[in-house]
Amino acid sequence: MACPGEARDALSDPEAAVAILAPRGRDSEVARQVLENAGIAAVVASSLHQVAELVEARVGAVLITEEALNGPGSEALHQALAAQPAWSDLPFVVLANGANSRSDAATRRMDDLGNAILLSRPLHTEELVRSLRSALKARRRQHEARKRLEELQLREVQLFESEAKFQAIANSVDQMIWSTRPDGYHDYYNDRWYAFTGVPAGSTDGVAWNGMFHPQDQEMAWQRWRHSLETGEPYEIEYRLRHRSGTYRWVLGRAQPLRDKNGTILRWYGTCTDIHEIKIAEEQRQLMLGEMNHRVKNTLAMVNVMVSQTLRHADSLTEARAAIQSRIGMMADAHDRLINATWSETRITEAVEAALAPHRSEEGHFTITGPDLPIGSKQALALTMALHELATNASKYGALSVFKGKVRIEWSIEKRQGQELFHFEWHESGGPPVEAPTRRGFGSRMIEQALGGYFGGEAELVYDSAGLRFSLMAPLEGLTL
Amino acid sequence: MEFHDQNSFAILVVEDEPLLLMDAVDMIEDAGFRTYQARSAGTALALMERHDDIRVLFTDIDMPGSMNGIDLAARVRDQWPPTVILVTSGIVGLTKDTLPDGARFFPKPYSANHIIGTLARIAADLGRG
Repeated sequence: MACPGEARDALSDPEAAVAILAPRGRDSEVARQVLENAGIAAVVASSLHQVAELVEARVGAVLITEEALNGPGSEALHQALAAQPAWSDLPFVVLANGANSRSDAATRRMDDLGNAILLSRPLHTEELVRSLRSALKARRRQHEARKRLEELQLREVQLFESEAKFQAIANSVDQMIWSTRPDGYHDYYNDRWYAFTGVPAGSTDGVAWNGMFHPQDQEMAWQRWRHSLETGEPYEIEYRLRHRSGTYRWVLGRAQPLRDKNGTILRWYGTCTDIHEIKIAEEQRQLMLGEMNHRVKNTLAMVNVMVSQTLRHADSLTEARAAIQSRIGMMADAHDRLINATWSETRITEAVEAALAPHRSEEGHFTITGPDLPIGSKQALALTMALHELATNASKYGALSVFKGKVRIEWSIEKRQGQELFHFEWHESGGPPVEAPTRRGFGSRMIEQALGGYFGGEAELVYDSAGLRFSLMAPLEGLTL
Repeated sequence: MEFHDQNSFAILVVEDEPLLLMDAVDMIEDAGFRTYQARSAGTALALMERHDDIRVLFTDIDMPGSMNGIDLAARVRDQWPPTVILVTSGIVGLTKDTLPDGARFFPKPYSANHIIGTLARIAADLGRG
């Protein structure tokens, strides 16, 4: 008798084989012969223990005599059957012992097998072969069903993983992602969209997205989107999207259609990218370029005036050249200081320093006091020009032309009748006696006729014999007009 | 060249930048013309109302306030049609379409000779008319 372990190993396909347990006489061998003649692989077991092992090895069916069920190892078989997976229902063909009545215990043992067919003895060859063929066929069906089930389960897992992967990607990117049906009906937004807008999930489905746009951008966005839906052309637009904070932020919107093999649009996939900072920086750059262009033009206009005025009042070309060079030098210095401050405003001490720097060689001449007020670029340049003219004049004829001469520069905010006034003074002393000039040069005309206009106030020159005085009186807001 | 009496009419110079205004007025007065000066469109219109000897408006475009030089030129063209209008500006890309009919444009910075020559021709035309 073949050892069942070896027999089992020899079975190339246990699922198509029958395990036989018929301990009495040559029954097992006869049965095996019959089955083999019918083309059915069979393996002979010597005990219920071995049948249990074959069950675990997924044998296709079991042929067993009723009396063998009562042998040792019935518990092992019971456990092996109970351990079968849900889909498995191993068929048994049981050869009845021929008794007319069956004990309760014997009935229970039969029932425990689950799927058992009873064949009466003496054995009929054809009956046996047909029974086992149909048992094996049923078993094969079970295996096929299991395979199908496993495939479906795998597909489900893959689908779940793919969905999870999509959600992870869609919700971890920095962009807002959305998708629509071919007719443009929005039915998907990623988490970023809801995090940005702060609106409840689903509340912007359909066409409600348009309400999230800045009122001034809604119509344009509709037009572009409709155009893309009609033509299938990619959608691209910059617009302002309402942030959850209630402010609007600049966003770049883009979408592409997904088409089938025939070119029919299946869906639209779109993104929104927050470009607010870039957009604002660009606007600021444009603003700054515009301001710079304006400044350069303004400076050139001033140079133009200054050259024309200098030539108009000059006695000689030599004198004119020196005056023009000195004035352009002052303007360059003032420009440096304006650039180093913010674009639109500088501080008044910078304007004063710019004018006095070239005359600072004689230390101790100047006393400067006043609060460091903000001053507009035009006013700063005008004040610098005026002080430059005063200092140049003082170096030639006034307090700066002698060793003990003094210039007191003082400014303050004064309150008069509820109005705040800016008061600036230049006061020379210790210089040669002052006489009113017989002819007005550029400096005095600039101060008397033009300077006040830059501040919306009045400027005055007083030719006091003890020393030249200059004063500027203007509303405080005139400093930054 | 025969000159009309340059003092029989005045030129209204409008420029918000005080130094540029001073220089423009100097340039025109040095050539022997009389001027009125204004730093805003509002002041300019008030001067037009008050002085009927103004025959020429010479205005900058870029000015603060509710009315710029183009608006001013249009108002003067409507209210005082015979006034000759000269417009100047540093703004790039300005086209003639934005100016009233007959207005002449001088880009900034302008040439003094060009402006004075134009004024002299205007004076001559006024003398013939």
